[in-house]
Amino acid sequence: MTFAQQLLAATALALSATPALAEKVFLRANDLSMGGAESLDPLSPNRFYEVNDLNYSRLVRQDAAGQPSPELATSWTPNADATEWVLTLQSGVTFHDGSAFDAADVAYSLGRIEDPALESPVAAVLGFIDRVEVVDPLTVKVILEAPHAGLPLLLLDYRVRMIPEGAGPTIEDAPIGTGPFKVERFDAEGSTRLVANEAYWEGRPKLDAIQFTAIPDSEARSQAMLSGQLDASSLTRDQVALYEGNPGFTVQSYPSGGWFGIVFRTDTPPFDNAKVRKALRIAVNREEMMTLMVGGDGGVVGCDTPVRFDDPFRANLDCPQDIDGAKALLAEAGYPDGIDIVLSTSDLEPGMVRFAEVYQAQVAPAGIRVTLKLEPADGYWDDVWMQAPASVTSWGERPADQILNEAWRTGSSWNESYYANAVYDQTLDEARSTLDLTAAKTLYVKAQEILFQEGGTFIPYQENGLQVLSARVRGIDAVGEDYIRWHLVDLAE
Amino acid sequence: MLRLILGRLGAAWITLLVIAVVVFVGVEVMPGDACTAHLGRDAVREDVLANCRKRMGLNQPPVQRFVSWAGGVVQGDLGVSMKRERPIVDIVLPRLRNTLILAGAAALAGVPLAILLGFLCGLARERAFDVGASTIALVAMTMPEFVVASLLILIFSIWLGWSTGVVTAAYDAPALTLLFATPLPAITLALVYVAHILRMVRSSVIETMGAEFVLMARMKGVPERRIVLRHLLPNAILPSISLIGLTLAWLLSGVVIVESVFNYPGIGRLAVNAVADRDLPLVQAIALLFGLFYVLTTLSSDLVAMALNPRLRTQRG
Repeated sequence: MTFAQQLLAATALALSATPALAEKVFLRANDLSMGGAESLDPLSPNRFYEVNDLNYSRLVRQDAAGQPSPELATSWTPNADATEWVLTLQSGVTFHDGSAFDAADVAYSLGRIEDPALESPVAAVLGFIDRVEVVDPLTVKVILEAPHAGLPLLLLDYRVRMIPEGAGPTIEDAPIGTGPFKVERFDAEGSTRLVANEAYWEGRPKLDAIQFTAIPDSEARSQAMLSGQLDASSLTRDQVALYEGNPGFTVQSYPSGGWFGIVFRTDTPPFDNAKVRKALRIAVNREEMMTLMVGGDGGVVGCDTPVRFDDPFRANLDCPQDIDGAKALLAEAGYPDGIDIVLSTSDLEPGMVRFAEVYQAQVAPAGIRVTLKLEPADGYWDDVWMQAPASVTSWGERPADQILNEAWRTGSSWNESYYANAVYDQTLDEARSTLDLTAAKTLYVKAQEILFQEGGTFIPYQENGLQVLSARVRGIDAVGEDYIRWHLVDLAE
Repeated sequence: MLRLILGRLGAAWITLLVIAVVVFVGVEVMPGDACTAHLGRDAVREDVLANCRKRMGLNQPPVQRFVSWAGGVVQGDLGVSMKRERPIVDIVLPRLRNTLILAGAAALAGVPLAILLGFLCGLARERAFDVGASTIALVAMTMPEFVVASLLILIFSIWLGWSTGVVTAAYDAPALTLLFATPLPAITLALVYVAHILRMVRSSVIETMGAEFVLMARMKGVPERRIVLRHLLPNAILPSISLIGLTLAWLLSGVVIVESVFNYPGIGRLAVNAVADRDLPLVQAIALLFGLFYVLTTLSSDLVAMALNPRLRTQRG
């Protein structure tokens, strides 16, 4: 054979080895928010959330309305006083290593939450689980320290994922789960690749692989998206204009329970007076504030409730701007000539400073004179939040019971307004032990009404999330990350 | 000559020590530390914060931390990254390689081009070629790197689709993959310093052309080509050599911005992340490397200039 013939033969061989159909690889970016310490242990404080979501499964997941629907657990039944829950498990599920998923794995995975060595933030959410008993291979009994009717809602937590019994010490290096994709290569600072789990119990995913590239800089992520190197990316409100009207992209706005708020410390004068706190909250035109911040369709207005608008436990109150009411309350509290307050904020997250500025302008007619104090973003959560008398705060979406307890129960470590009200705490206790949904709703609504009447946190609206998809993406509705069913996602040819 | 080199190296040590102290103090006085940056809201849980500080050795007084760190560095141990919990050498070396690939590509293509263009501009003084090239150079010099970078991405990857926008290759990808991932970061880096060197060579050529030895050669009837190549070129380039060295060292500041915009997995992007994470040992290691690079580049460009110009060798300071 001449050299040319050899070359031809080699080329033909190479061509025949190429698969007939191109692999469908969905391209994403991770923002290195854990600075390279990203962990494949779902309970770790450094959890690599986007990857864990694909690699592991939960017991329950959100349906379209945010309520628990079956994933690895097919049913959940409480005893009469909601102190014990019996969970029935999906049969025929296997882990990525081929071993069967059963009750022992559930008992182990839930039991790890309180392991002090893990320092898992989930311990604050599900620490009330006393122990988990294996009834039979497909049934577990979860025994609680105190009644809790909302256990399934809390099991929706994105970090509560099932791993094989005893796998805790090795899970970071051998991430074995039951999810629709399995980790093939993991390097949070470089690229991470997950391939389809052929044996996924809900059917083989339509994608062949999902690949993550570390792009810590938000501008660089945006450039990568614009030049077609990514299939999906989250967006800030300022970036929307880059994609609007471009047929290569779809911008989606989806409901989320995230919010900015202003915390007035209820243990510090003048905010220790409930009348002052209420005046500071009712002096605002919330509709206008939301429109200025995120646009008229950028969120849902609420009356100082942290609960998402479509959550069944949300209190839908009415709270129009009431300048006269605010003035009257201030006069009653001993401030007939108005009040001067200092509000700390920071450009820690985009919009946090503007939020304080809009508030400042809105409450001025009620005689509330706000001085803004711009704090450095570094160390804000440590040096300013829960230290300054009044500061801007920011929270992500949480189930009603979780957020109402985390942020306002007496003595809770994230009780940012230092709120202490025995009636409020008792109402939540009662709600937790009430299995009847209507009765429970009455109690959760009562708790939110207490917060509106005398709480120290101003929450004008809940902001929608934003994401952009490339035009070839199929099967992602306008929903948050938690709601995406990744095994149904596809890419057009 | 040897004494001069040794003297310069000794001064380099002092420079590096000063850099280390300044960086250490700078990171210390910023609000927050590695643990509060890492824990965010969890920092209010006192026990968790205390555990984290203990794990990272932040519970010791600053002076003691600095001394034990500096002691390690002298023995060649850069320490362990607080955030990544891995030896810093393992983190820094692959990225340093990537940055050298990028800067090397930019320098190899850019320096000869800059000298050539500068030379031509000087010869064609105030004619169309000079005016055009000098104007472009001035614009390139005054535009910040992030503007140039964004413009290049907009034109060549979003509008024309000729090149990928940002680098998605991992930091441990083969050298060739990184080199050919996209030409845009190298072009961005090159544009700025090509402009600087071009301006320098141009003015030096113009100056030399008026020198007496050039006049003398002309009067002797030496052919113009020979004047340019034998008399003008070596004398015009000599003063530019130390500037080229400085410009290359100055490249590093450009690298930080260019690598972030293009997501290039080099030491510049790592520096930005390390500062954001308050990863003090890592920040210090990178600052020291930058300092070392700066010292070495200026030293070697001075040596090259000395080797080429016998007159400099007698000027001992």
